[in-house]
Amino acid sequence: MDANQILKEVNDIFIDVLDNEDIVLTRETTAKDIEEWDSLNHIQLVVAIEKHFKQRFTSSAIQSWKNVGEMCDAIADKQNQ
Amino acid sequence: MIKGQEFLHTFQVTDSVYNGFIEIFKDKNPLHTDEAFAQAKKFREKVMHGNILNGFLSYFIGECLPVKDVIIQTQEIKFALPVYLNDKLDFYARVEDVFESVNTIEFKFHFSNAENKKVAKGKIQIGII
Repeated sequence: MDANQILKEVNDIFIDVLDNEDIVLTRETTAKDIEEWDSLNHIQLVVAIEKHFKQRFTSSAIQSWKNVGEMCDAIADKQNQ
Repeated sequence: MIKGQEFLHTFQVTDSVYNGFIEIFKDKNPLHTDEAFAQAKKFREKVMHGNILNGFLSYFIGECLPVKDVIIQTQEIKFALPVYLNDKLDFYARVEDVFESVNTIEFKFHFSNAENKKVAKGKIQIGII
């Protein structure tokens, strides 16, 4: 799966979990850019992403992500392992 | 807790549970309080409030797990069959998934009645805080 496809699928997850059809993620998007992306929703986003991509991350890996791009890179890295 | 871990408990919708629910939440809909009304709607007798089962779920999460530092994050329940006063319900829950990255555990559960028929089922996601 290429980077654009991963970003698209992550975008769909954000729309569903945050219940906001207007979300358009870029690699530079952070929690500060999306009002609904609070700490509780962050948990739901991670759970949904782990389920969707059938991957598991460590808490330290998640905390290291600075933006959506790094999140997508981590997903891609696991897919390529 | 690990994936596949199972939990069992028996609950009963006693008079005190039923009356306490009505006293606290004031839902006196005739389906729950009027035998004749409930029977006219083809139920055997007055039907217990479905959300009494959510109270049992609260007890399960709060009191039956091996850890106390828990919080319910999401919950969904589907009601399949009516529950009547004094019904004993066998509760079964299984750890469906563990998300260590966010300290989150997902359970699937169901309640079964004395005829071993599922009266309700669903999922609960909890966080370890």
